[in-house]
Amino acid sequence: MLTQIVKHEWRNLRADRTLWAVAALLAVTIGFGIRNGSEWVRFQNDTLKAVAAEERERLAAVNSGIIDAQAGRTKPTSFTDPRSPSVVGRTLGARYASMPPAPLAALAIGQSDLYPYYFKVSTSTRQTFLNNDEIEHPVHLMSGRFDLAFVILYLYPLIILALSYNLLSAEKEAGTLAMTLSQPVGLPKLVLGKIALRFVFILLPGGVLSLAGAIGGGTNIAADGGGSRLLLWFGVVALYGAFWYALAAAVNAFGRGSSSNAIALAAFWLAFVLVIPSLLNVGVKYVHPVPSRVELIQAMREASREAAAQGSRLLASYYEDHPELAGDRTDAADFAALALANQEQVEKRIRPVLDRFDQQLDLQQRLVDRYRFLSPAVVAQAALFDIAGTSEHRYKHFLGLADRFHRDWRAHFYRQIVRNASLAPQDVDRFPEFHFEEEPWRAVAGRSEVGLVVLLFAVMVVGAVAAWLLRRYPVAA
Amino acid sequence: MISTVARKEMKEMIRDGRFRWAGGIVLALLAGSLAMGWQHYREVNAQHELARRATREQWLHQGVKNPHSAAHYGVYAFKPKMPLSLVDQGVDPWVGVTAFLEAHKQNEFKYRPAQDSTAIQRFGELTGAAVLQLLIPLVIILLAFPAFAEERERGTLRQVLSLGVKPSQLGWGKALGIGWGVGLLVLPATLLGTLALALSAENGAFQSSLPRMAVMFVSYLLYFTAILAISLAVSARARSSRLALVGLIGFWIFNGLIAPRLAADLAKTVYRTPSAFEFARNIEMGLKNGVDGHDPADRRAEELRDAVLKKYNVTKVSDLPVAFQGISLQAGEEHGNQVFDHYYSQLWDTFRQQERVHQIASLAAPMLAVRSLSMALAGTDFAQHAHFARASEEYRRVIQRVMNTDIANNGKVADGPYLRDADLWKQVPDFDYRAPDLAWVLSRQSLSLALLTAWAAGSILLAWRATQRLRVD
Repeated sequence: MLTQIVKHEWRNLRADRTLWAVAALLAVTIGFGIRNGSEWVRFQNDTLKAVAAEERERLAAVNSGIIDAQAGRTKPTSFTDPRSPSVVGRTLGARYASMPPAPLAALAIGQSDLYPYYFKVSTSTRQTFLNNDEIEHPVHLMSGRFDLAFVILYLYPLIILALSYNLLSAEKEAGTLAMTLSQPVGLPKLVLGKIALRFVFILLPGGVLSLAGAIGGGTNIAADGGGSRLLLWFGVVALYGAFWYALAAAVNAFGRGSSSNAIALAAFWLAFVLVIPSLLNVGVKYVHPVPSRVELIQAMREASREAAAQGSRLLASYYEDHPELAGDRTDAADFAALALANQEQVEKRIRPVLDRFDQQLDLQQRLVDRYRFLSPAVVAQAALFDIAGTSEHRYKHFLGLADRFHRDWRAHFYRQIVRNASLAPQDVDRFPEFHFEEEPWRAVAGRSEVGLVVLLFAVMVVGAVAAWLLRRYPVAA
Repeated sequence: MISTVARKEMKEMIRDGRFRWAGGIVLALLAGSLAMGWQHYREVNAQHELARRATREQWLHQGVKNPHSAAHYGVYAFKPKMPLSLVDQGVDPWVGVTAFLEAHKQNEFKYRPAQDSTAIQRFGELTGAAVLQLLIPLVIILLAFPAFAEERERGTLRQVLSLGVKPSQLGWGKALGIGWGVGLLVLPATLLGTLALALSAENGAFQSSLPRMAVMFVSYLLYFTAILAISLAVSARARSSRLALVGLIGFWIFNGLIAPRLAADLAKTVYRTPSAFEFARNIEMGLKNGVDGHDPADRRAEELRDAVLKKYNVTKVSDLPVAFQGISLQAGEEHGNQVFDHYYSQLWDTFRQQERVHQIASLAAPMLAVRSLSMALAGTDFAQHAHFARASEEYRRVIQRVMNTDIANNGKVADGPYLRDADLWKQVPDFDYRAPDLAWVLSRQSLSLALLTAWAAGSILLAWRATQRLRVD
């Protein structure tokens, strides 16, 4: 019976121009979305290539600089000397920590346009490399981008609603519903059949298109975790879609006319996709306000002033600000050691202030996680960004790795600075090097699975309401 | 006749539960978002004012040091917020809050507030501007889509017309009635917002924002007029009220949600910005070898030395009556300024071209035009961020000039480092930023204003013609 319903419905839908218009629209938006995402991934990859090339050239220059200085061909000052571990660790030899885009990054730009994806790590403080923002017109950041995630979160529900807002009401208005139901078929089964067809019709081509587009756009599905990520992605898309179908069924089961259904569903869409997320945003910011960065700057200034007052004499602080002016008048190594000591002091002092930002943001995130069930769009957004590797989670993971690298880098050079060592050409190969390790798959999967469960739960609740209402559905007008 | 129609519309609206609900929600959101905007404005302004004073204090009381050390110690620049930012915070969350003004370098503005937010921020912020640009048009559409179409379906349209009411009179009456309903939502909030501003803004900030406020009011009025006229036109010509609704909601979604993103990706594709890496590298190379790449630093230094020696008619730097270090530092700054000006104006030109794409795209979506105008009038668009960035860069250059001139004139001391104290720090004036005036803003927004006016005028024409050819059944 179900197959018969599906077949019949297919014949009906096929004759309707709406379906083909909707399919064409879907194809165009998916294509455009993936194109934009792929462009952004390509941009990042190109930049990372340029960054790596610059590092290679610079390290090669350090190497030949050491050889030249050792041979006496050049006479660098103590503050430009490539043999000095302080100079090399702070400027000449500084290395990059970079995070390549994840396999599915082209599908959701997410937060990746807002956070840095590479840092130039040196012996200087963390604050010197942390704000490595990409250039972007702020209006583009504000508007958001037209990527596949946008198509899925905003347009896909609309397409679903356009196809199913009159699931039952149209048949009732045309008078065919009573006739259909005089056959041996129950109302729930009929609705299920209608939805099943639409579900598959939108999801299958949409999925195939996304896949083709993603591969064409340079996404590496074969990469580590690429396949599982893709599976999760489709899981989220399917359940998110199922939620909207269930909602359409429930609204139809209410028994109102097509126009009322359309208005009610549009109102739900508006609430879930626009109003509730922005209210939630306001709420979490109100409950756990993040302090202003202006305060951080004040704290940093204060701390560095105190450190300077404690750590050194007037002369030293002068040369510390401007080492190249010191010439041969003082021992460069002393300054370097002093500067490092000062830096550490400052970092220790502002640590609590910095921690406060992270704490508050964490609390906000936890609150969002707790109340995300209020809107399936919030759940789906978090899951899609996460699976694409463009969420703040992967960024934080990267930040952790960069911090570790920073510590290693400093430890490496600090030892040599204190020993007042002179670098040899072969030392260049021994500089610590950053290797990006992908965030453990368990962590990503665990978070997205929670999202999947929440979505599944929402589908079941709304579906149950629909089923309950359907039993009371007034078939005759 | 028109007023009779309008009165009937009003009465119907008041009785309609849908209007009461939708209106109530939108009114609450508008009032709430304006209140939050007001609180945010006061908080941030107070904070920035405090920080501005603190950075000045720190500068003045930095103690005894070499002037160039002081130049490195530097100051921070914080952009003051304008009162109207309570309506529209524009790009403020997406640009850095402060720049460090130090020797040798024009620094980027750092710490974008949006980075200290969760990802749900990407769904859009609840601001007065969002309510005015997105939700109010939706209310207008909901009120206006049945205007003709539903009367037609109920059969009352034919009756009304048989009474001798001209279609255009019917159209004007309905427009007035619905306009009154929208006014009911917008005006109380506007009055409250104005009152809040009048009470809270200090130092004549309220008076000086009155012209901006007036233009902002007119902009939104034009925008709402366009939406209302389009809705009436569609309602007059649509086959059914359902089709009218579907079409108008489709337009609303395109206008408010799709067009901004489409324009962003379009602008990015047509006018590419360099990567931050490329940009920084260009500047670095420029500093080393000059903007044209044929002016290496060694040669510049040599030429400078020769020129200075010649000017003072001596042969050795140590014989100079001035400290060469000060002259050389200032020459370095001048060279750097050329390089920064070159690359930053290139980047900002690209940004301006991208904005132009957004403005032209408002041919298809009036929201882009009103958004651009609204941000500009609120003082929160990129142009005014860049204006502040330029002013703070000028201030940075003043600091360098004062410090380096002092080193050149007085820095030649027999032994030990040359040290100065607050006497010199005081010679650097306080950073007094003047935001651009309305004429400045409007000269950059003329295209948006023209297109928005064209939208309103065109829509009215469309509605008028649609009522002339009103579909009766």
